[in-house]
Amino acid sequence: MNYPFWDIDIGYGWLMGSIAILHVFISHFAIGGGLYLVLAEISARKLNDTFRLEFLQRLSKFFVLASVVLGALTGVGIWFIIGLLNPAATEVLIHHFVWAWATEWTFFLVEIAAALIYYYGWKTMSARNHIVVGWIYFGAAWLSLAVINGIVTFMLTPGDWLQTGNFWDGMFNPTYWSSLFFRTGVCVMLAGIYALAVAAFFKPDKAKSSLIRYNTVWAVVGLVIMAPTYQWYFNSIPEAIRTTAAKAMPTVISRISEGWWLGLALTVLVILFGLVIPRWYHWVVGVVVMVLGFLVFGEYEWMREAIRKPYVIYGYMYGNAIEVSDVGHLQADGMLPHIAYRTGDDGADLFRRACRSCHTMDGYKPLKPKFDGTDEAFIAAMVRGVGVMRGNMPPFVGTEPESQLIAAHIYAQTDHRPLSEVFGLSGVALGRMVYEVRCGTCHQFGGYNDKAASLAGLSDDDYNNLLDMAGELANEMPDFTASDEERAALIEYLKTLPEGGAR
Amino acid sequence: MNLPLYDFLPAPLWLINILHIVTLSLHLIAMNFLFGGLVVILLGRIDDRWQNPAVQKYIKLLPTAMAATITLGVAPLLFVQLVYPRQIYSAAIVSGWFWLLIIDAAILGYYCLYVASFKKSLSSSVAPLLWVVVGTFLYISLIYNSVFALAENPDLLRSLYTGEQSGWTFNPDIVSWIFRRLHVVAGAITMGGFFFGWVGRNDNSAYRAGKQFFLWGMAAGAVFGFVYLFTLDKYLLLFMRTPAIWALTVGIVLSAGALHFYFKKRFIPAPIMVFVSVIMMVYARHQVRLLHLADSYDPSSMPVQSQWPIFAVFLFFFLIAIGLVWYMLRLLLAERSRGE
Repeated sequence: MNYPFWDIDIGYGWLMGSIAILHVFISHFAIGGGLYLVLAEISARKLNDTFRLEFLQRLSKFFVLASVVLGALTGVGIWFIIGLLNPAATEVLIHHFVWAWATEWTFFLVEIAAALIYYYGWKTMSARNHIVVGWIYFGAAWLSLAVINGIVTFMLTPGDWLQTGNFWDGMFNPTYWSSLFFRTGVCVMLAGIYALAVAAFFKPDKAKSSLIRYNTVWAVVGLVIMAPTYQWYFNSIPEAIRTTAAKAMPTVISRISEGWWLGLALTVLVILFGLVIPRWYHWVVGVVVMVLGFLVFGEYEWMREAIRKPYVIYGYMYGNAIEVSDVGHLQADGMLPHIAYRTGDDGADLFRRACRSCHTMDGYKPLKPKFDGTDEAFIAAMVRGVGVMRGNMPPFVGTEPESQLIAAHIYAQTDHRPLSEVFGLSGVALGRMVYEVRCGTCHQFGGYNDKAASLAGLSDDDYNNLLDMAGELANEMPDFTASDEERAALIEYLKTLPEGGAR
Repeated sequence: MNLPLYDFLPAPLWLINILHIVTLSLHLIAMNFLFGGLVVILLGRIDDRWQNPAVQKYIKLLPTAMAATITLGVAPLLFVQLVYPRQIYSAAIVSGWFWLLIIDAAILGYYCLYVASFKKSLSSSVAPLLWVVVGTFLYISLIYNSVFALAENPDLLRSLYTGEQSGWTFNPDIVSWIFRRLHVVAGAITMGGFFFGWVGRNDNSAYRAGKQFFLWGMAAGAVFGFVYLFTLDKYLLLFMRTPAIWALTVGIVLSAGALHFYFKKRFIPAPIMVFVSVIMMVYARHQVRLLHLADSYDPSSMPVQSQWPIFAVFLFFFLIAIGLVWYMLRLLLAERSRGE
């Protein structure tokens, strides 16, 4: 809490993603593309294939424009954005891994120089020297990945580093190798599908078919590397993280299976059009294949980021920049005395520190719809119990008065009408909404922390007693503070639950 | 819970400072080559401007200079963030959108440069593209100057944040950065004149234009630099008591020496003197930062937990990198000269 908070309407996730996704795709493509260029050049020169050499020369122009300009600058952009969105986590990473970053910079230096010399050297350098420069480019680019991969994987699986603080423990953490091999596969796959997309625009003839087949082999080899290494990567993630994800993050799990299906679709499409009927590799196919490739990789990146919740550095720092080691003393002292930059509005300052990194009121992961039609006491209780909500939220580390300040801040921005008016509902439908708003965040029917079995088949008196003593059932449970109308509607809804809770 | 701490420096402060100062100087030289050279090309009195061989050669070099500017800019940013993260990130957050737009500006400028350099024959039609590049550079340097000046003023930083948290705050303490900025811009034009005249040393009008910008840029830079020193106010006296005053003096003498040798067309001592003088200026700037922050932060108080083995890995690859770049350039240039 040593930093000001950048309070913007755009969700932090979107902002980070807009720069990082672009960079990740370009940088992986730049590595695979480097290998593709040099191996394709060797093969084309051996065969004295001028068509392919011209194609490679054209490809390398785009390559320079994409990797040297956009890749390099979006890489710097990631630095800029992480410093703005989570300066505390950036500070941790920089202090522990500065020499890794500095080493990566030396590879970056060579990579950029080699890319430019390779491009400018097509007409002036001998074949041998040109290929040597190509190899240097690829080597530097891949080594750059090998270093950054350590820092990226560290954030999800810091491993023994949490006990030792040792650089090497952090760098070669439990997911380092699997991620490195997987990403290498991605690089090869992206190089193949990009080269396919470019070749797709050529007029159909024998040379095009041969080029399409050659590029398809690259895409398929990449996919073949990706499939087992992805599973290896997932299995290297500590079981506790995977279990939490399976229990509380249905989206993450569904993204994983989506990734597999998309990968399968991509493989089938590439083999069909690339190897079986290469003459039919139309530019539309090229674009579809490219989009699929990006989606497959995107699903992985999304899963990797999402499964880390509620941490930004697993077991060390929460997504809202609260350090795990600070939880105890913050719970005792409160957060306010530790917030270095205050605005005079304590509720707003606390809200920013506790919630705003992941939620906005109206836009990205909005809180307003969750609290419309509720009351301050309920919101305060939800804030205090946030840590047990889904297992993917950081605990609230402030004091009770601070939770009330946050609640007042949120409440001031919500719709104060009763739920029946906010949503225009009555009867069982209103009851279902009351359940979703007041209970469903922590107790999903058929999902996380399902209590349907114990709620079904009770009498009106039982339901009323249960609601009366809701706040005493567990520390994190809020009192039931809704109106009588909403209470009656909720009971009406609960009475519709089938016996045993099965739905 | 005993989790690892991060409030430490992974190498002695002096080492980090040296790396920061040297890499920042290299970055400035690449940036000045690019920005200053463009100003000379656009505003200098050059015969048959767009057909002039020096102009054509220089424009072809610009994308490479841009790549060098960016690549060499990464390292000093890394090292300065290591020592002053709380000051720099805080200032960047307060001016968040302006700060982030630096990336967009750089991408725009870079692509404009490529469009210009890919043209088969140059004409006045490239001028608007080059002006866009100049504009993006002016924007980037403006934001850098204002954000880094804000980082050195914690009280102002706090009061600005109290009033506005959306990241649309621009450092309003103009006096704190305007003269330094003018000094930096004039310095870049000085260096641009130097490089352009060097590249066009065999062309009278190009050399003359470069010389003029080198001379008058240096004069303007000196004036703005002195005014900036006086705006330091209470820090000026303190500054005079630091070794930086000697560095500044050496920098001024070397700049004058570079001018002398440049006018005599002696292109070995002149650039060496220019480079050393840039290092001296960057060092003096570093001392000013320490003075401004002295009341709130002393970097030498940070505990040091040296990571020597990893530093050795960095050093090893750094030397390899220099060797490889040199080797590849030799391959390219040797064959190019054989071809000619």
